[in-house]
Amino acid sequence: MFRLLLFFALLLAASTASRAGRAHRGLLVLYDFSSPQGTVVKDRAGTRPPLDLRIANPGAVRRTAGTLQLHGNAVIRSDRPAAKVIAAVRRSGELTVEAWIQPANTTLDGPARIVTLSANSAERNFTLGQDGHKFDVRLRTTRTSTNGIPSLASPPRSLKAQLVHVIYTRGRDGMARLYLDGSPQSERKVAGDLRNWDASLRLAIGNELTGDRPWKGTCHLVAIYGRALTLQEVRGNHRAGPRASGAAAASPGDAGARFFETKIAPLLARNCLECHDAATRKGDLDLSRRDRALAGGKNGKALVPGDPDASLLWEEVSHDDMPKDRDPLKPEEKALLQKWITDGARWSLEAIDPAIYAHAGPAGTWVQRLTVAEYIATVQQTMGVDISAEARRLLPPDLRADGFSNTAYNLNVDLKHVEAYARLAAAIVDRLDVPRFAGRFSKNRKLTQKEIRALIAGMGRWILRGPLEAREIDSYHGITTTVASGGGGFEEAVRYVIEAMLQSPRFLYRLEHQQGDGEMWPAGDYELASRLSYIIWGCSPDETLMKAAAEGLLTDPERLEHEAKRLLAAPRAVERSLQFVHEWLDLGRLDNLRPDRTRFPRWDPALAADMQRETRAFFEEIVWKQKRPLSELLNAPVTFATPRLAAHYGLAPRGAPGELARHDLDPRGGRGGLLTQGSVLTIGGDDASMVTRGLFVMHDLLRGVVKDPPPGVDTTPIPSSPGVTQRFAAERRINDKACGGCHARFEPLAFALEKYDGLGAFRHKDEFGNALREDGEIFLPGAERAVAYGSARELADFLAASDRVKSSLTWKLTQFALGRPLGAADAPHLEAIHREAQKNGGTYQATLTAIVLSDLVRLTRTEPAPP
Amino acid sequence: MLRGLGATAIGLPFLEEMALAAGSRAPVIPVRAFNLFFGLGIPAPLQREEFEGVLEPLQPLSGKLLIMRGIDQVRCDEGGMNAHFDGASGAFTATPPNGEARAGGASIDQVIRQATHPGGMPPGMVPTLVGGTFFRRSRISRYVHSYNEDGTVAAAMQEKPRDLFDRVFGKLDHGGEDLRRERLKRSVLDSVVDQYRHLTGPNSPLGTASKARVAEHLDRIREFEQRAFAMKHRDENGPGMPPRSQVPHGGPADPGGQGIDLTLEELTTEWRLMADLYALAIQMDRARFGSLTFLAAGERIRLTGDYRYNGRRVFAFDDARQRNATGEKGCSHEWWHAFNEGRKNEQLRAHAHMKMRELAYFLGRLDETTEANGRSILENSLLTISTESGDGRHNDSKRELSGVFHAVTGANGRFKTGRFMDLEAEGLDVYNTMLAAMGARGRLGPANREHRPVDAIRA
Repeated sequence: MFRLLLFFALLLAASTASRAGRAHRGLLVLYDFSSPQGTVVKDRAGTRPPLDLRIANPGAVRRTAGTLQLHGNAVIRSDRPAAKVIAAVRRSGELTVEAWIQPANTTLDGPARIVTLSANSAERNFTLGQDGHKFDVRLRTTRTSTNGIPSLASPPRSLKAQLVHVIYTRGRDGMARLYLDGSPQSERKVAGDLRNWDASLRLAIGNELTGDRPWKGTCHLVAIYGRALTLQEVRGNHRAGPRASGAAAASPGDAGARFFETKIAPLLARNCLECHDAATRKGDLDLSRRDRALAGGKNGKALVPGDPDASLLWEEVSHDDMPKDRDPLKPEEKALLQKWITDGARWSLEAIDPAIYAHAGPAGTWVQRLTVAEYIATVQQTMGVDISAEARRLLPPDLRADGFSNTAYNLNVDLKHVEAYARLAAAIVDRLDVPRFAGRFSKNRKLTQKEIRALIAGMGRWILRGPLEAREIDSYHGITTTVASGGGGFEEAVRYVIEAMLQSPRFLYRLEHQQGDGEMWPAGDYELASRLSYIIWGCSPDETLMKAAAEGLLTDPERLEHEAKRLLAAPRAVERSLQFVHEWLDLGRLDNLRPDRTRFPRWDPALAADMQRETRAFFEEIVWKQKRPLSELLNAPVTFATPRLAAHYGLAPRGAPGELARHDLDPRGGRGGLLTQGSVLTIGGDDASMVTRGLFVMHDLLRGVVKDPPPGVDTTPIPSSPGVTQRFAAERRINDKACGGCHARFEPLAFALEKYDGLGAFRHKDEFGNALREDGEIFLPGAERAVAYGSARELADFLAASDRVKSSLTWKLTQFALGRPLGAADAPHLEAIHREAQKNGGTYQATLTAIVLSDLVRLTRTEPAPP
Repeated sequence: MLRGLGATAIGLPFLEEMALAAGSRAPVIPVRAFNLFFGLGIPAPLQREEFEGVLEPLQPLSGKLLIMRGIDQVRCDEGGMNAHFDGASGAFTATPPNGEARAGGASIDQVIRQATHPGGMPPGMVPTLVGGTFFRRSRISRYVHSYNEDGTVAAAMQEKPRDLFDRVFGKLDHGGEDLRRERLKRSVLDSVVDQYRHLTGPNSPLGTASKARVAEHLDRIREFEQRAFAMKHRDENGPGMPPRSQVPHGGPADPGGQGIDLTLEELTTEWRLMADLYALAIQMDRARFGSLTFLAAGERIRLTGDYRYNGRRVFAFDDARQRNATGEKGCSHEWWHAFNEGRKNEQLRAHAHMKMRELAYFLGRLDETTEANGRSILENSLLTISTESGDGRHNDSKRELSGVFHAVTGANGRFKTGRFMDLEAEGLDVYNTMLAAMGARGRLGPANREHRPVDAIRA
């Protein structure tokens, strides 16, 4: 694998590690009091939106550059609720409060509020306070009072009237710890979770919001994180001292590498490597590898670091002579290239893999709407109702994008969806035994507030895959009061509540918290439960998974792995895997297969369905019954065919008409593996197009990248004729100066399949009597040398053994699991997944387990809030 | 034109009913009975101040009202579930509730309706019109005030002005069940819209792309809403659609009893639009029976805004700050529980005064139209004004909610008006006396209870 991936891994690690010695990841607010004047204390965390504090009574404080001295009844508070802090902590279940302070004395009590997120003396989310010669921290959880009691205190006489670094952390496991000057002082379990944090509370320093718990002393730094810092990080922050800013810039070296990786490598991949990669090397120039690029080509030095005018690359590009036969670079792209060369042409990768930059899809993180299949499975799992017939009839089909129809950005919504969801919700409830269903969550059948809200909360948690917020309970409660005020009873009220829940975005979408600081944040417990379940089963979590989420167990990798294996052992996992192969190979295409009757007079339309079934049965055999590595899908000498399909293939028909029968294939024969199944071979159309078949192998098995033909090129397929086979036509294209650069990459991949006609039947001669061949040679993406093969079998064996193919299968499966195209930022994670999957046998199960245990599933890439 | 508050203007069409009312035939004044409810009541000591205190806004209509004091609703306290709920259930039934979602019996308006229209209402008329502006929904009788004989609600609550408008002027040829079902479906859709709106709003947990997708879904829902619930059978003679409500409804109106923040302007704009429409329904003879609610029993709002009356600034509402509390403890409701006869109670006074102003607004609308007998609709109708009775002992302000308050209009000369009366009677007897005066044979309360007429109220 390219060293590129290692680089990405290092880059990712660097982005989440400390800056200037302080922990940065999860930092929500930071006050360094650096401004010596004014009534506003700026939040300098860099996490948007900033939560600035206002000094309510400036006469009670004194400011210097770097300190805020509180000598009277001061209160420094936010004008609005600390929404970003509250949302992040609710989500993570973790918290760190940090302060560099110097108390004025050891007699302040109340406790006196040093940092507080509260409303008054009885309602808070947390408070770091001084209680005489101790620190005292109150934290609200679902198991404490709204006042955050019992609290955690530092040992007696641990607080002195001198500069001290105090940190309080509380992890998702409930363990709360107090550190002074980097040393642990006390700890206790604070059970419960933080989802009940009051969203309306404001942040304050130096006093309670009501102004009756003043603290006196000097503040040097106050910070809050949405996670529990480790002991190492606590010590790091202590070592960094009270003057360390949290927003130090990345090192210049990192910036140069990032610039190359995010700007230049994609630019070269898109515009240059088509002709100047390791395989093509036009003009003997290879721009995919650092050493080769610096070495230049037959016309001279392509790159002279620091001197664009001496660099042929810049000369050609700036005069629009390159890219040849393609659109010239845009001015802003040229500017990037020029800047890069001027700055020294920092080349931080050993090689550029164009595939990494090829399928980024639209920017942003897209919420995933349930696909039709997921909707049906979720209704079955959640409500126990089979709605498949109506759902398939009423819901518009999901359309493919980037090779799959579960690609989130393409799962848009039409009026027909809304109408269908409303009708389906009513139909589901019609089939439901409403009192019995409601009885699962509450034995009470009253419509009064307390009772019905409890039922809504329990029922909603199950149907909507996680606890409801009070706002949501209010909304559903409104339905019950409307029903009741119209004379309706309990059953009718519950019915309409369920109808509403089934149309809510929390049911129809896989909603997750996406806001943060742009970094990777841990996924919430219920988010993890849903991710795991939808990835492996394609439906909502079962009760066991929901219970594990409720207990906060899924953040433990061992438990997550245990749950993944449990889910993989269930029949739903098989069904989900079949959706994958259906999507990956676009088996739905066979539903519309209409070959030319004059050329294929013996074509039986039922064969198309047989081919679909063959591939599904074959996949099930290799993946689930034999549990073989995924790469063996390429060369396993077995298949499943109806007698009709067997005859079509030239195999001895076997079994009952219309039934699939197993066929163990001769390893020395041509047929064996996916590439020789009708479902894949038909991808080339009636003419068995080498272009289409070759592109399939290149894109879907090798993650190769090739551009569309340049404008104006005649792409009319050349039909076979006496003396002209498809291979002959392909070789003409390969040898053509204008076409060969690209066609040489993918058409040879299909040479081995020439003996299979457009519908997958095997023959030695085509319809014009031309003899057909199956030998050839191929370039794997990134390889410098071609590899020769003598037959379809040899090609299949070669592909099955290729690490490029194996990693491509990992990418494909990961893409399906995540419901989005994969890009450069995913590359290091993909490498880790692939390594782990191969270590465990390279099976579907091992790959899926590695995926769900990876950071791509356990973490969420957040989006900074708008300024 | 029927002109409401500020920009609200509703076209008033010329209707056959109105022509008849003003025509040459002998005047036939229809029997009408409406229950007008306001939340939390007026403590008995403040009622003794008459129009010098919080009742001041009723003074312009004083000649058309009989304000009754000393009415005990003692039996409403027997069950003892909740003072607001129990008391509100008895406000117009004089009986305690019969379970969580039922009153103890019929309300005054329904007994009279049955007596005057035993065969049903004339075609095109809403049998019972129930509307209101309220934000506490935990139990039905906090805000619904028309009940059938078996204690079930007499009609669905129209809580948005547009709902009430639709009920009165839309789909007149629809069956009741269709309309009811549609209303419930709309409440489902309202809840769904609520969820989508949250995800597209400032507190959404979603990123930009996801928000855009959900916003797209919300747009499609609105399109669906328009197509599915467009009023297909609107009465062509009806007035134009009123503006969309700007205050919370459904679940968000009562977030688990925690109360909501509301400005005085938001509250009065919503209420006056509701009052205008309800009055319009009466003026156009679309409704003769029903109930209207201005703030629920045990209402929980945190009101802000300057309150002015007759050009003078009465008070600056800011409940949460003045109570120095958030959530339910910051609601105006708490002023009632904190009432102390020995103190100024200025916040409670301001709230109660404001409520009287708003009741007077509605009564004033009914007083604008003069009928064929020379009296206004207000004078010709029976409007019973009441509130939750709490534990029913109006004379003991130390007990919870002493604010039992009753007033009635003259009902076309059937009751004395223009005075305060200290009756010292049980509510059941007063209500049954009213029913008798209205010609209704039905009686409220236990069948074997001896009826003690309160004839002093009859003209």
